[in-house]
Amino acid sequence: MIKHSRFSLDNGLRVLVHEDKSTPLVAMNLLYDVGSRDEDPEMTGFAHLFEHLMFGGSVNIPEYDLPLQMVGGENNAFTNNDITNYYLTIPSENIETAFWLESDRMLGLDFSQKNLETQKNVVIEEFNQRYLNQPYGDAILKLKSLAYKVHPYRWPTIGMDISHIEKAELKQVKKFYYSHYCPNNAVLSLTGNISHDTAFNLTRKWFGPIEKREVKERSLPVEPMQNEERRLTIEKDVPADALYKVWHIGPRMSDDYYTLDLITDLLAGGDSGRLNTKLVREMKLFSEINAYITSDIDPGLIIIHGRLMKDVDMRYADEAVNEVVNNLKNGKGLKDEMEKVKNKFEASTVFSYTSILNKAVNLSIYELLGNPELINNEVDSYRKVNKEKVVETSGRYLISSNCSTIYYKSTRKDK
Amino acid sequence: MMDNLQRIQPPVFPVEKVIIPETKMIRLNNNVPVYLIEAGTEDIMRLEFTFRAGQVKENFPLLASTTNMMLTEGSQNYTSEELYRTLDYYGAFLNLSCDKDRAGMVIFLLNKHVKKILELSREILFRPIFPDNEFHSLMKKRLRWFLVNREKVQNLAMDQFLESIFGKTHPYGQQVTETDFSNLSPALLNDFHSEYYTIDNMAIIISGKIAENTIDILNYSIGDISSPKNHPDLRSKKPEGSLEKKIHIIKPGAVQSAIRIGSATINKRHHDYPGLKILDSILGGYFGSRLMKNIREEKGYTYGISSGVSSLDLTGYKVISTDVRPKNCQNVLNEIYKEIKLLQNEPVKKSEMELVRNYMTGEMLRMFDGPFALAESFRSAWEFGLDNSYYYRLAEKIRSIDPYEITELARTYYNIDGLYEVTVGQR
Repeated sequence: MIKHSRFSLDNGLRVLVHEDKSTPLVAMNLLYDVGSRDEDPEMTGFAHLFEHLMFGGSVNIPEYDLPLQMVGGENNAFTNNDITNYYLTIPSENIETAFWLESDRMLGLDFSQKNLETQKNVVIEEFNQRYLNQPYGDAILKLKSLAYKVHPYRWPTIGMDISHIEKAELKQVKKFYYSHYCPNNAVLSLTGNISHDTAFNLTRKWFGPIEKREVKERSLPVEPMQNEERRLTIEKDVPADALYKVWHIGPRMSDDYYTLDLITDLLAGGDSGRLNTKLVREMKLFSEINAYITSDIDPGLIIIHGRLMKDVDMRYADEAVNEVVNNLKNGKGLKDEMEKVKNKFEASTVFSYTSILNKAVNLSIYELLGNPELINNEVDSYRKVNKEKVVETSGRYLISSNCSTIYYKSTRKDK
Repeated sequence: MMDNLQRIQPPVFPVEKVIIPETKMIRLNNNVPVYLIEAGTEDIMRLEFTFRAGQVKENFPLLASTTNMMLTEGSQNYTSEELYRTLDYYGAFLNLSCDKDRAGMVIFLLNKHVKKILELSREILFRPIFPDNEFHSLMKKRLRWFLVNREKVQNLAMDQFLESIFGKTHPYGQQVTETDFSNLSPALLNDFHSEYYTIDNMAIIISGKIAENTIDILNYSIGDISSPKNHPDLRSKKPEGSLEKKIHIIKPGAVQSAIRIGSATINKRHHDYPGLKILDSILGGYFGSRLMKNIREEKGYTYGISSGVSSLDLTGYKVISTDVRPKNCQNVLNEIYKEIKLLQNEPVKKSEMELVRNYMTGEMLRMFDGPFALAESFRSAWEFGLDNSYYYRLAEKIRSIDPYEITELARTYYNIDGLYEVTVGQR
């Protein structure tokens, strides 16, 4: 049971606190309700580029990292489809320095041309390193644009095209900041060696004076229902063939979420997952295969991807995946497996909450989703999923008219 | 509203001294040492079984790692499938590991299942049967993973770097080739296992909210195993670097080049090691380091650059790593050497000393925060015959080191003529 308290300031900032006296540290997580889904299609990758700019100094503090490291703190950030999230851990004595730093970059940024140019280069190198200079690195880019035709999830967080980053301008940066970065568009959480009262007083002192800002209401195009199978073949100089399959699912807060999560765990949770047992160990078609759901707030995807063993025919491998998926729909052999994946889910939740940082990040995300109590009742929701739900839900989503498939083929002779 | 708030830095407090919980040692009936670290608030444990069974003991490439990976592929009483299914059923997370010196496994478990998990641990560690079918399919899979990994400039560069600094034939430096995947057999694995996965060659490290009866169950499941001391206790030969200091490997079409610069160096047993760690932090060990500031934050040449020092049983090594566009490669190399020379020639300013002291002190708190971090920190001193006093020495060094000592260390340990430079990419 993770006890937490909640309050909000007049300016709209929502705050969650969980005290854990077993650590000398405090974790602070500040989530902004803006992600790559909020980008202009002509300017993708902007939310993530902006995350980099947040470290280039704010109105009263020339550099973010320096004073934080000076008091023994460490920080990082990530951007995804839905959110931009900043986090740090710091010795509890110096927590006020973290409030000073985080509130200042919510108050206003030091928009410098030099910082923009440098961080554009850094992000381009990140793009190169993660997506272009890795075998299969571009698969996820292709996959998203195949599955989504309208919704902004059709481009990846890093951006649809590197030129979008290259041409980013300071005036767009400013506009983006003022329309998304503000107390009424953020969630702050504090976990670890900090009491509710300290958290309340410091939040009021440092974040209280920051004015509300106008946030443009989000109105995103709804992805129309897919009603026929989509296929794409890519040929590249990679060492082995790879198969990617995705199916559309509902939003994060839909009733089906935990059932779908459990379905992917049946398929690929742990070494005893069905895909691994059947297709890697028994039939020896794949060298590795994985399945998971994206936990996107808007309707997301189930993703299965695997790399083929030598001389395995792609269509045969694809059919074999379909057969494993179809077997879920008839519910055979589910009984013991249900208990297994539920136990594993419960254990992994317990393990993950040994970290104050994980607790802080999740409290912020759950608050954004509208229910911080999820941190304590996810295991129950997952446990409530029964065999009938698995059969019914997989029958509804895991169908070919809802599926997009990529054959990522090696051009090598000896593949 | 308190809109007249002075937005200046709040008072800074010295970070509390790190307090490391004591580790208790108990011996099982068969004399296996068990180290116990009590920590955490949840009813979970981290169990580590570690053996001197790493790559340094192998006569063939892949022998140590394959033996390790085959431990869960079938035992006297369980098929591989049953093992995996049972571990998953009890919510346990098992990680096999094989590094240069040691091999073994770490299991994260819920205390309520300790008995079952220890029964399985006995099967996995002491009763593997290395079945033919599983062995062949593992080798085929590993070859596929290998081929994909060899497409990445980072892996090519690191493998070549280790070969260059430790030598082509030393197990620390030896590179794996495609043919190595067909040179092993279950019989070889079985021999390696019975030589090195033995009672007198192992230790157990337990951390978490340790269940009361853990030692009794350990004695029941492992305390009765005996094994003859039959592993050859030869001193392994010293690694020797190659004569060629600069190597470029061409990888056509690579969008970025990988750079690795460094050399063999002292390990944790050496009294200069804490100082070298601090020097390394200043150079490239954290976000505020000189390499990061210069090459990423000033020039935007890379997504990341870092330096690190690692300890091995026979020696240690330090390495600077980054990935950059081919056209910037030479500039980045020049800047790296420039930063090293600067550390050798100019004492670090007081403000930067203070920064690295405070950052590293905070880092030490993180190293001992929670049961999992505690166990890892304990292990990484213990395996060099050191105890927590190593960390107290490090903490003291962080507090007291002066700029001239840093300059001295940079001259001793970063002699530029002694550094190897590996680049992989176009050019």
